[in-house]
Amino acid sequence: MKIRPAWAIVLSVALAACASVLGLRPEPPSHPFEHRAHVLKGINCVECHADVANAGETGPLHLPSEAVCRHCHENPHDNRPCMNCHGEPYVRQAAELARAQLRVEHPRHMGAVHGDCVRCHSEVTEVHPQTVLPKMATCFGCHEHREQWALRDCAGCHVDLSEEGSPPDDHLVHDGDFVREHGVRAASARDLCASCHTERQCASCHGEGTVPALPWKLALGDVSLSGLHRAGFLARHPEEARGDPGLCTTCHTESSCIDCHTRENVAGGSTRSPHPPGWANGEHGVQARIDPTSCAGCHGGGGEQLCVGCHSVGGPGGNPHGPGFSSRKDEHHDLPCRLCHGVGP
Amino acid sequence: MASGCLRRRSAAIAIAVASAIGSSYPADADPLRLRVDVLGETQGTPAPAGLVVLQGQDALRPWVDAEALVWAGARGAGPTATGDVLALTLHLREPHGYAEARAGRFLLATGAVRPVQLDGAYLTARAPWGSKVEAFGGLPVVPRFGARSYDWLVGGRVAQSIANVATLGASYVQRREDGEISSEEVGLDVASAPARWLDLAAFGAYDVLNPGLAEARASAAVRSSDWRFELFASQLSPGRLLPATSLFSVLGDLPSQTIGATVRWRAAPRLELLGSGAAQDVAAGLGGNGWLRATLKLDDRGAGSLGLEIRRMDVPCAEWTGVRVIGALPLGNGFRYSSEIELVVPDNPDGRGVAWPWGLSALSWRSRSGWEVAGAVEASSTPLRRYETDALVRLSYALASPPTTAPGQRPGFR
Repeated sequence: MKIRPAWAIVLSVALAACASVLGLRPEPPSHPFEHRAHVLKGINCVECHADVANAGETGPLHLPSEAVCRHCHENPHDNRPCMNCHGEPYVRQAAELARAQLRVEHPRHMGAVHGDCVRCHSEVTEVHPQTVLPKMATCFGCHEHREQWALRDCAGCHVDLSEEGSPPDDHLVHDGDFVREHGVRAASARDLCASCHTERQCASCHGEGTVPALPWKLALGDVSLSGLHRAGFLARHPEEARGDPGLCTTCHTESSCIDCHTRENVAGGSTRSPHPPGWANGEHGVQARIDPTSCAGCHGGGGEQLCVGCHSVGGPGGNPHGPGFSSRKDEHHDLPCRLCHGVGP
Repeated sequence: MASGCLRRRSAAIAIAVASAIGSSYPADADPLRLRVDVLGETQGTPAPAGLVVLQGQDALRPWVDAEALVWAGARGAGPTATGDVLALTLHLREPHGYAEARAGRFLLATGAVRPVQLDGAYLTARAPWGSKVEAFGGLPVVPRFGARSYDWLVGGRVAQSIANVATLGASYVQRREDGEISSEEVGLDVASAPARWLDLAAFGAYDVLNPGLAEARASAAVRSSDWRFELFASQLSPGRLLPATSLFSVLGDLPSQTIGATVRWRAAPRLELLGSGAAQDVAAGLGGNGWLRATLKLDDRGAGSLGLEIRRMDVPCAEWTGVRVIGALPLGNGFRYSSEIELVVPDNPDGRGVAWPWGLSALSWRSRSGWEVAGAVEASSTPLRRYETDALVRLSYALASPPTTAPGQRPGFR
């Protein structure tokens, strides 16, 4: 089979475009600092980053001065400061963030690795590094921190994790369908979650009647496919609730439904009742057994009298208890039994 | 009439914006963030129309910090003022982590205890060998400063870490409403990460008042750098999730079970595929649901992205198909455009419309000095309203600590 040159060109362009779009061919950083070239030439890191040998936990970044660069590069191609162009802003920004948020004493570490900075900063050997900072797994390669882990004592290294805002990448990864999964993951480690996440982050979804304050409800600049209540959730929420009976109640209380339904005039007695025609004739009993939490959402509290009107003992609605129902409550004195069974002697 | 309503609302909004901006220049800069949301709707009564949110967190000393998020808003043609406290917490901590105390308004969620917002206290004691004791108590929050009726909640949890690879916990919680016991549960939880590629977690809550399993969930996940596979299962008993004082708790117990799997695959450096499918046994019959998401980053840093989601739910009484598309594009100089479109087609419209489209288009700007401004237009057709268009403007100013990363960008260290 002979491929025409035109088709070969089209195919090549398409493949190149795909490779670029999918990231198979990494986009070259605009002006990366050539760490790799310096490493391959055998230049010791401290020849440029001399200050690092005396750097404490706090202080400015130990970037080389212009004079240090020109010590070797005697005839630069340009008179502008080297660091104006050489070095990606985001790499420097990350380094500044790390300097502010991580407690690392370089002199102590340099002694332990005999001056071999690359043992921690392995990314400097990459052609296009996205960062020159070590991964946390690299730290754990030497520091076990078992006791600190047990005591949730992250402050030895991290200044303020919630302020730092780094998503974990090599441990505790928030991966897959994490919105659904986070509950079971957090059950045994709530305080571990709290080492990064603030109260208001949890409460903004799980809090009572807090919908207007949800910082992520309308994350206008940060659209996402994840999230339980995103996009047109309002339109499909009855379907979502029916699709997983009881799920809403794991976060919302009974008042959550009635608040909104009353405001939107979608409540019993209005012409916009959410129930289909003929609801009261029998279907409501079936649906109530499937998901009683949905009924309680609007008819809980004082609304229970609507049920009592028909289902109280001797009433036309008959016995509402499911098959095999039993209770240890006193039917004449305890709630909710006494609502239908009446107060006894 | 509608335009008059909008005019009144606009006036209220303008006052809210002006007062918020005016109050956003304190002399001492704490890490506080003041946010103003302005919502205008073409139909219906928004909730609320104007909203001012003040949130902040500060560590006064290494062993004490405080956090707050309060909001106030106005809604309706009146307008009617409303507001609430979302979080107001004082957190004390022994410097080495042996003990912690949290007091104020916070979210309680630990072990098999379902999340509940509480005005109360939460104490934790830890030992270096991995033992932990937690105790909590307080009054469940009533929204909008509502009145209480002698409701309270107490409980605790003990946990032990085993060989630093697993944690086993046992919890107890009792809740009262109007002085009567409304919920009493014991729970067990376990989590384990025996290898870097393996995560296991499960919990179960047992209803003591009406003996039976109220809720149980389990998850097992394996992962590599490009793959992640998770198996999950759950059982939920809606009747037992209600307070025992609720009339609806006497209808019987018809639990639902779910078992499913989620797969994530980084198909290419910038392309991630995520799929999930589950079989469900609900009281109404057998069913299932599944979805597939594809997210393509438009650059190596992920500042821009495109996403597609296809979803199908096929459970008796809840059968529908949906498709959603998102797009986010950085425009430079702190500007960012984002858009989200969704179309849901129910199998049985029942007079609610054959399709429910929804769309949002937003433009946002974030400055290095801490300002954030975003504006959006939202349009939809729902079972409630044939056609609806809303507009939203969000204005936010960080009184200190401007954002360290741009939206969609990851900090450079992990």
